[in-house]
Amino acid sequence: MSELSTATAGRKKAKAHIRYAKSGPLLLIAAPGIIYLIINNYLPMFGVFLAFKDFSYKKGVFGSPWAGFKNFEFLFRTRDAIVMTRNTLLYNAAFIVLGTILAIFIAILLNALGESIRTKFFQSSLLLPNLMSWVVIAYMVFAFLNSDTGLIDNTLKALGGKPVAWYMESGYWPFILTFVYLWKNAGYMSIIYLSAIAGIDKSIYESASLDGATKVQQIFRITLPMLKSTVVIMTLMAVGRIFFSDFGLFYQVPMNSGAIYETTQTIDTYVYRGLMQLNDVGMSSAAGLFQSVLGFIVVVSANAIVRKVDAENALF
Amino acid sequence: MSSNTKAVSTAAPRRQKAGDAKRFRIFSTVVLAILTVIALVPLVLIVIASFTDETVLLRNGYTFFPTKWSVNAYVYMIQQGSTIARSYGVSLVVTLIGTLASVLITTMIAYPMSRKNFKYRNALSFFVFFTMLFNGGIVPSYMVWTQIFHIKNTIWALILPNYLCGAFNIFLVRNFYTNSIPDALIEAAQIDGAGELRIFFRIIFPLAVPVVATISLFTALTYWNDWVNALYYIQKPQLYGIQNLLIRIMNNIQYLKSGAASVAVGTGAVSLPSNAVRMSMAVIGILPIVIIYPFVQKYFVKGVVVGAVKG
Amino acid sequence: MVKKLGCLALAGAMVVGSMGMNVSSAKADDYTQITYAFVTFNNVPDDTSKVEEAINQITRDKIGVEVHLMPLSISEYQQQVSLAVQNGEIDIFHTLGDFGNDVSSEMCYDITDMIDEDAPETKALMEDEWLRTTSKDGRLYGIPTLKPFALQPMLIYRKDIAQELNLDMDSVKSPEDLTDIFAKVKEAHPEMTPLAPVSQGDSGLTRWIPEIDWLGDSFSNPTGVLQGDSLTVQSYYDLPDFEKYTSLVRDWYEKEYIMMDAATTTSAAAELMSSGNYFAYSASYSYPLEDTAAALSAPSGYEVGAIALGDSYLDTTAINSVTQVIASTSENPDAALKFLNLTYTDPDVINTMLYGIEGEDYVKNDDGSVSYPEGQDASTVSYTAQLSCGVLGNFFIQWPLQGSGSEESLKWEDEQNHSAKSSPAMGFGFDTSGVQTEYTAVSNVIKQYLPGLSCGSVDPAETLPKFRQALKDAGYDNILKAKQEQLDAWAAENGVTVGEEASEAESESETETAAE
Repeated sequence: MSELSTATAGRKKAKAHIRYAKSGPLLLIAAPGIIYLIINNYLPMFGVFLAFKDFSYKKGVFGSPWAGFKNFEFLFRTRDAIVMTRNTLLYNAAFIVLGTILAIFIAILLNALGESIRTKFFQSSLLLPNLMSWVVIAYMVFAFLNSDTGLIDNTLKALGGKPVAWYMESGYWPFILTFVYLWKNAGYMSIIYLSAIAGIDKSIYESASLDGATKVQQIFRITLPMLKSTVVIMTLMAVGRIFFSDFGLFYQVPMNSGAIYETTQTIDTYVYRGLMQLNDVGMSSAAGLFQSVLGFIVVVSANAIVRKVDAENALF
Repeated sequence: MSSNTKAVSTAAPRRQKAGDAKRFRIFSTVVLAILTVIALVPLVLIVIASFTDETVLLRNGYTFFPTKWSVNAYVYMIQQGSTIARSYGVSLVVTLIGTLASVLITTMIAYPMSRKNFKYRNALSFFVFFTMLFNGGIVPSYMVWTQIFHIKNTIWALILPNYLCGAFNIFLVRNFYTNSIPDALIEAAQIDGAGELRIFFRIIFPLAVPVVATISLFTALTYWNDWVNALYYIQKPQLYGIQNLLIRIMNNIQYLKSGAASVAVGTGAVSLPSNAVRMSMAVIGILPIVIIYPFVQKYFVKGVVVGAVKG
Repeated sequence: MVKKLGCLALAGAMVVGSMGMNVSSAKADDYTQITYAFVTFNNVPDDTSKVEEAINQITRDKIGVEVHLMPLSISEYQQQVSLAVQNGEIDIFHTLGDFGNDVSSEMCYDITDMIDEDAPETKALMEDEWLRTTSKDGRLYGIPTLKPFALQPMLIYRKDIAQELNLDMDSVKSPEDLTDIFAKVKEAHPEMTPLAPVSQGDSGLTRWIPEIDWLGDSFSNPTGVLQGDSLTVQSYYDLPDFEKYTSLVRDWYEKEYIMMDAATTTSAAAELMSSGNYFAYSASYSYPLEDTAAALSAPSGYEVGAIALGDSYLDTTAINSVTQVIASTSENPDAALKFLNLTYTDPDVINTMLYGIEGEDYVKNDDGSVSYPEGQDASTVSYTAQLSCGVLGNFFIQWPLQGSGSEESLKWEDEQNHSAKSSPAMGFGFDTSGVQTEYTAVSNVIKQYLPGLSCGSVDPAETLPKFRQALKDAGYDNILKAKQEQLDAWAAENGVTVGEEASEAESESETETAAE
């Protein structure tokens, strides 16, 4: 009797122990990463002050005089503030939604083919565009779209159609840029979902197919629900950077053509174009901080909502 | 997560299943083939452009059927000489060391973040996520790395700053742990008296093969394609990686051909095949990956599949 | 002796290389160590120690200084220099068109009280007004690189086509005269486009308007400017000449005389020319017409000629675009300035910096010019910075590379420097710090509209008013006002009045025509 009770007590103790795991060993495992992040990310964060300083190379980060919010003014001085913010947000939204859908789609198809030479070939090919730099991609897009020697316009001319001045018409660019973005990134992102699918218990599919579920039913009933947490995490991370844009895509690919700023100008390209001549450390820090803070607000709210609905999948 | 495999099965659903699976495989093959063509066609265009005579390239534009072929761009690159081989070497070493170190650190820090009974779980996650949004910018980073750690003009400058422990990868791994590794497994190990370190290296890490494969690939690509670290921290040509070498060559060509050069260096600009060279650089930059990837991919796919079986 | 030293230097280099650290400061404490960062357009040399040693043999005795050379590729020059200055790693660097910014962000050491002591010979080489361009509020912050300053707008054209069509190129005195020429070219060669842009979005138009003082802006991004002898700041885009030339280019565009994609093309002029599809392009150069044409023939793929489309004109930007400065964080500014002085006055120092070691990296010819050793070229020798000839010290004491330039050309260029017509506001530098906010917005507007207007791909009648309105909305007037205020203050301080300068300028332009 007493033996039994000590055993139960012991088990209870063990259970309690598991519930509140000792922090020490776990922190030890995390230590290399934590130390690295402190050195690489947190130590330099004093640079955030640069956004509020009139930076002088002579006086350095700490000695430079304070400038208040003066460095931020240029972000709002322009009438384009609305256009560039709208573009940044809408493109990012489109990229998140379409990118996720396409990446999952590719991952499911690749998974269906199993391990074969075919899969390898498809997967490698779809990954390749991600290895190209934006400068090279810009040249490639130019090869298709320019009006003197471009492939598309030449084809249009050969077919008796009217050539289009692509770099002058802002209306086409939301589609062009989204296409180029997906072309470059979908294969790469699909890898994430492929590994998540690989992590799903195979026996679930087996029992489902024994129950007569078709492949399509399995995708909608099993695969997609199981990918939910990955989608949520990926989206939350993307939302944090929703005020940033891929500079190369928006600067290089449209060939810096002024006529299409209406649909190609983002916060980053605006800042770059504006500061190219001034080369001002304080103002560029200010722009970055502004984008970060807005992104931070958005993502903390989004995370709070996720936490309410499904605490498991929240980022933090 | 236990599997309740049904022993009983009838012939009809199996046949139906086989047909269904086959149809889905055909569908997948067709769609992926189309997507692959879309992905590859522009790349083929780049390769062809790199072999096109510069004059023809300028006169007729990029085309799949150039009227005149040329290897001048590659000859020019080879004339740049031994430096290309050397910078391949630098990139290779940096990619290897960087990827190994990064994968280890990343999988380790992600583990406590996945443990539901870890007291500082959310704090740690937030600590990590915060780095994704805010940074101090290059000036303070440079101060920290050069004044405290003195990495300037050493190989460490290409490995340590920026990429060793990215928040994105950490969350990918954490997400994999929480979804694919059952709590019961850890509990069982703990009851057996295994310590956290042992649990991590003996149980968690081997189970995380698919995600380890994924972030290895991502990290390797990041290191291979990086040119920013060298831009800030490297002045010695001996430590140029391939991407930096290519960018430097290209920028020199471009600068010499631009109007600005007439101000700074006079009219001494020489004749250079800049468009074809640019394309050949793209080819040279990704060539090793194209060659190595199919071999690595075997392990990559295996990693993914192994994970699936064990899960 | 030299060989021995070379070996020593090599051994030293190996130690440095294997440790991966810079240990140069460890040796020879008796000499002050300085570091000189400059841009090179050649391959960045693997090892500079040998060349440093050759220079140091001169500098140790002369000024008690040892120099460490830091040649940087153009792709990272600006980045690395600003970081290195902030960290106190370098003593000397040079600006690349951003002197004003470098001074206002306090990257440059105030050398006003040092120059008479440390670099009197260099000061004697400079005209007072040149040193004024590198001053701010009466304090001197740098020394302009001494080179041909005066840029002349030119048309570079294919000689074979001109001969074939019997074009009278000498009759062309201004861009308007080109319309007839282009018409003939187009008629005879409908497959050709007469005019190529010099680079993306730049037809050359901004160089055609005569006698412009950019007041610190670059010609790709002008705002308020001065024209001629007036000291009244005008908006560049309100100048009658700007309207005239944008209409002219628009007319060319509609007649297909200018490349359709000029506003977005990825190719520079020389490349386009070499494709054989183009007849000419327009850019500015600071060398005699014949020299320019000779030098451009190789990259253009055809024998080209050059004609002037206007006269050269000197303003502050022309002088101070490349300026040698001492880093504000330097611990040895005097030693640095003394070394800088040698790069303007000692041919051995500057030429060693440019060409490296005689016999290994270059050989000297009887006529005083320099060639690469037998079987070698710029990309195979272990050290050369030849293409940096226009960014280092004194261009006029550099040995020319064989086949480029001659005594007469140098003389002509030197004369141009002293005699070309110059702006009444020569020496005035605009400080953007009060209007940075407006500047960023205005830069964006300019980049949106100027390339299209410059290349004729948009209709100026319709676009110009829109452009001007957008500028206004971006706070353009504040920039003009700030420029005028600073200019007035500067003029009062320096006693510049319009009348006096005008008469002087007239006499100068006479000398210039005589020189031609």
